Amino acid sequence: MMMKNADHLMRLRRVFTQVIGIVVIALALYASVQVTQPDFVKLVIAAPKARQVLRELLAPDLFTRESEVMTVGVALPVPCDSAPEDQKAITGPRLEVAPGCAAERETVLVRGRELGKGVPVALRWRLPDGNTLGIQRLVTDAKGNFEVRVQVRPIVATKGGQPARIEAEVTLPGGRLAPSQALRDVIDAMFVTVFMALLATTLGTFLAVPLSFLAASNITRRGRLGALVYYLVRTFLNLIRSYEPLVMATIFALIVGFGSPFAGILALVVVTTASLGKMFSESIESIDTGPIEAISATGANRAQVIMYGVVPQILPDFLSFTIYHWDINVRISTIIGFVGGGGIGDYLSKRINAFEYSKAGTALLAIILVVWALDFLSAQIRKKLV
Amino acid sequence: MLRVEHLTKVYPNGTVALRDISFEVSDGEFLVVIGLSGSGKSTLLRCINRLIEPTSGKIYWNDIDITNASPSEVRRIRRQIGMIFQQFNLVKRSSVLTNVLSGRLGYANPWLSLLGVWPAEDRQKALRALERVGIADKANQRADTLSGGQQQRVGIARALMQDPRLLLADEPVASLDPVLAHSILQYLEQLNKEGVTIICSLHFLDLVHRYATRVIGLKDGVKVFDGLPTEIDRARFKEIYGEEAQEVRAASL
Repeated sequence: MMMKNADHLMRLRRVFTQVIGIVVIALALYASVQVTQPDFVKLVIAAPKARQVLRELLAPDLFTRESEVMTVGVALPVPCDSAPEDQKAITGPRLEVAPGCAAERETVLVRGRELGKGVPVALRWRLPDGNTLGIQRLVTDAKGNFEVRVQVRPIVATKGGQPARIEAEVTLPGGRLAPSQALRDVIDAMFVTVFMALLATTLGTFLAVPLSFLAASNITRRGRLGALVYYLVRTFLNLIRSYEPLVMATIFALIVGFGSPFAGILALVVVTTASLGKMFSESIESIDTGPIEAISATGANRAQVIMYGVVPQILPDFLSFTIYHWDINVRISTIIGFVGGGGIGDYLSKRINAFEYSKAGTALLAIILVVWALDFLSAQIRKKLV
Repeated sequence: MLRVEHLTKVYPNGTVALRDISFEVSDGEFLVVIGLSGSGKSTLLRCINRLIEPTSGKIYWNDIDITNASPSEVRRIRRQIGMIFQQFNLVKRSSVLTNVLSGRLGYANPWLSLLGVWPAEDRQKALRALERVGIADKANQRADTLSGGQQQRVGIARALMQDPRLLLADEPVASLDPVLAHSILQYLEQLNKEGVTIICSLHFLDLVHRYATRVIGLKDGVKVFDGLPTEIDRARFKEIYGEEAQEVRAASL
């Protein structure tokens, strides 16, 4: 009877604990909704607004055609007989105007002929004094023609026997594809970012190696002084690791100036040192002590023991972690640009602020490609090393 | 000649690994140390080359006091004392040749060896050592690609590089098949015949009978036997191995 009672109590307690747990979680979720005020209705209603942005982001500005520009024109004496009309061309790209002359405020019909299929045309007046006056932009039809009615305004009147002309500037396709300005800028910025990450990783690694030995319990934690150094270095590494690179970059940007890669490099160096220092020290702590014992037993000195017994064991790990961290640093440095760290992130944030989403799209595409390529590359190298 | 006098080792956690051990080893002996795991065999071997610092007592090697030697003297003594291990203790990621060459570190130029530069005669010597243990063809392979028996032979080749006068072997065959055990111990026997003194810890009675010229038995850090292998029969063996042996029998019943 006693046993049964105790059993019953136990089960009751477990149920009670579970209920309390569920209530606590529910309260925490309720509190987080209250604090963050998510508005899902707004998200759905506003979604179409993002469409234009998304469309531009997904159509990155990569290439431009090196276009050829052709201009055809026809004179239009205003009023009639103020100047001779042009000889009418019969074939080839040409403009025709009907009637061949007009009075002010009349309307004439302008036809473009054989200009190329579906090409953009900028139609304009060439005034007698050489200035231009835009009429409208249009696109030729499937036969390469267009027709448009144009009103003759007083400003186009013949001056000094010189008639105004109607000109069509036709942008012909067929030019070579060339990288757009945006693409060239993005590639430049990407180089900055990748080298920024490389430099930061290198510096960070140099700082991390000595710190990692100090933070490895099997190397340093001997005696009172050793233990003190061990805990100090460990705490130091953990402390810096708790700051996001973004925060770090902001602080450094305040010191050395916004938009310079140097701020980003400094932030990355600190982050890399902390994180590699920790990873290296763990690698050192996990080495096999057998070979160290064996090499000490041959009469080798301390440096020889480290070179022959320790280094071969940790080198692949160290290289692998370093390459991995370069990969991480490229990823971080794309973001760091947003807070003034320079490189591709800087370019991206500027394009977004200027609403140039297709250029931002170019940057995004470049980031995706480079991160993917580095990820792949570092995985391949690390596979070889381990 | 090796002389151990009143050797005692107490670990910082209070474990007494060796309690007042004294014995002598003449040149050319094949001394086998037997005893349970934890009886102090490994500690004893490591006190001899000071991989472990004795708490008290003296060890003399040809009348040099090992226990009082300075670090540089210890290194000079160590290079004449080869050592092989139960777990082979090779640097797994290094090549077989590098592992063997590392046996020469005590003699090598300290700076050149740090750069991995070895004189041609040392390389020749390493290849000859590998030839001697029958695995010269593996010289350029990574050590961890070799089988257990082959790795232990690399361990022997590494010890050979030291031109040892004394060889410490800590359970050299405990991780190997019985067949391989004989092939490894035959190399030690061969070395012994060439004049190298051997101190070896072993577990199996038939191996003790086959190879030892003298036996020391340890139990809980105390020397409980010192004599000829022929003096050890099953009963004596069980005495040294104590209750554990009985437990094994009880468990098998």
